[in-house]
Amino acid sequence: MSSETNDIFSDEEKDILQEIMNIAFGSATADLAEVIDIFVELSVPQIHLIPVGELPDFLKNTIHAYDETVIVDQKFWGDFSGSGLLVLPSRATKEMLMLLADKEPEVSFTKTMATLEKESLVEIGNILIGACVGKLSELLKTFATYSPPRIINGSNVQNAFIKSFDPSQTAIVLKTIFKFEHKDLSGLLLLLANQESIGWLRKALHEFLESYE
Amino acid sequence: MIFSQIFEMVNVGIVILDKEFKVYKWNRWMETYGKIPAEKIVGASLFTFFPDLNTPSFRRNFKAVTTFGNFAFFSQNLHGHLFPFKATNTLGTDIKYMQQNCTMGPIRDENNIINYVYIMVHDVTEIAVYEQKLLEMNIKDPMTGVYNRRYLESCLEREFEIHKRYKKPLSLIMLDIDFFKRVNDTCGHQCGDSILIECASFIDSNIRTVDILARYGGEEFCCLLPETRIESALSTAERIRKKIEDHTFHVNKTKIKITVSQGVAVLSPEITSPETLLKIADSALYKAKEDGRNRTVTIS
Repeated sequence: MSSETNDIFSDEEKDILQEIMNIAFGSATADLAEVIDIFVELSVPQIHLIPVGELPDFLKNTIHAYDETVIVDQKFWGDFSGSGLLVLPSRATKEMLMLLADKEPEVSFTKTMATLEKESLVEIGNILIGACVGKLSELLKTFATYSPPRIINGSNVQNAFIKSFDPSQTAIVLKTIFKFEHKDLSGLLLLLANQESIGWLRKALHEFLESYE
Repeated sequence: MIFSQIFEMVNVGIVILDKEFKVYKWNRWMETYGKIPAEKIVGASLFTFFPDLNTPSFRRNFKAVTTFGNFAFFSQNLHGHLFPFKATNTLGTDIKYMQQNCTMGPIRDENNIINYVYIMVHDVTEIAVYEQKLLEMNIKDPMTGVYNRRYLESCLEREFEIHKRYKKPLSLIMLDIDFFKRVNDTCGHQCGDSILIECASFIDSNIRTVDILARYGGEEFCCLLPETRIESALSTAERIRKKIEDHTFHVNKTKIKITVSQGVAVLSPEITSPETLLKIADSALYKAKEDGRNRTVTIS
């Protein structure tokens, strides 16, 4: 973690956030499997605090490792607000369709293969981002509302939302690698929260800790 | 009190379900467009009235709402509609059902516990209809109703790429009405127009649905025949030519006989661009005119 993060979160606060993320994502994984029959493994999440000015480079380097990607972007609002990004390799679109398809997908004039693939990508993005944000919010005793997810093209990612962040601010980036069980398929889940959330988050972290003391 | 009145008044369908898919609330909008009164559906499972909604995808989204507090979005673009309500005002398009943008989300109690799920239904049929109309206008010739030249050229380009990869035969017919100027001059342009319209539907009814018929110029039509060898393209062209020759057009009680000349071409390895194929068909058409009209010619 870089040095500029020190004045925003103390080491203790970072530890609590890490702990909450572990619990939240663990419980998201369990519920996804149990309730919705989607089997994913989420890696231990990493927390980065990044000045918004450096966000484009961070995203470029992070997403670049996943060449040929499709990205689902979904905004969330509430005490904890920001954007969720699901980064998947392009070849995953077909796999997503097979994962979600009720039966052999029916292609027609109005529903082309491309539409069906888009549909399943948006659905999986909505569910995974919502699961992680939802569980995190639940632990911090709040809840989020969401905008419709949209697919953005990899090269467009910077324009698409760096603009929604104030360049003088710091963003909290929560990064997880997820893997679909029994499939050779993994992707990246990023939650970006803006600085306005930081004050609230610090308060929520302390309240969370107090409830255990 | 105020909110319950608004709940009934808004121009949005609102359904509230409990966690077992049972209908808890059904607003007046849903009664009006769904033609199901609230007292009939409240307390019953949503799937009793809408069995088509009982899909793994719908249940998955519903559970994501109850478990994680997710929202789920069913956009018109991707889904068309969630509730099969009859569409009104479709301006002659083939849209059967009301086009809807739907959102599903959680309703929490004071302790943040999710006990209910709402579905909101927005009628976006009008937008969908305009979109379809615009798309149609973009690819069709307004007078004859067959495709326009631009659309044909984009199809030709696509078929050309498919041919390069899969080597399936591709043929093209260029058709021109003989002495059409004479028809216009003697019977007037309106008469000419109705002959063009009738001619277009004549050709259209003699080709397969996969073939692309376009008005290429004034009285010139072009027909793209995917997966068709030259022999069948020639026999299709001849069938069209004979039918038009045998047909008597009736316009304002005037009987008019017309004939057509046609050039037919097929893709071969020497043809390296879609434009060349068009040019070859055009030269064949020119030769048909030279040779005395009312005939089908191919240049091999």
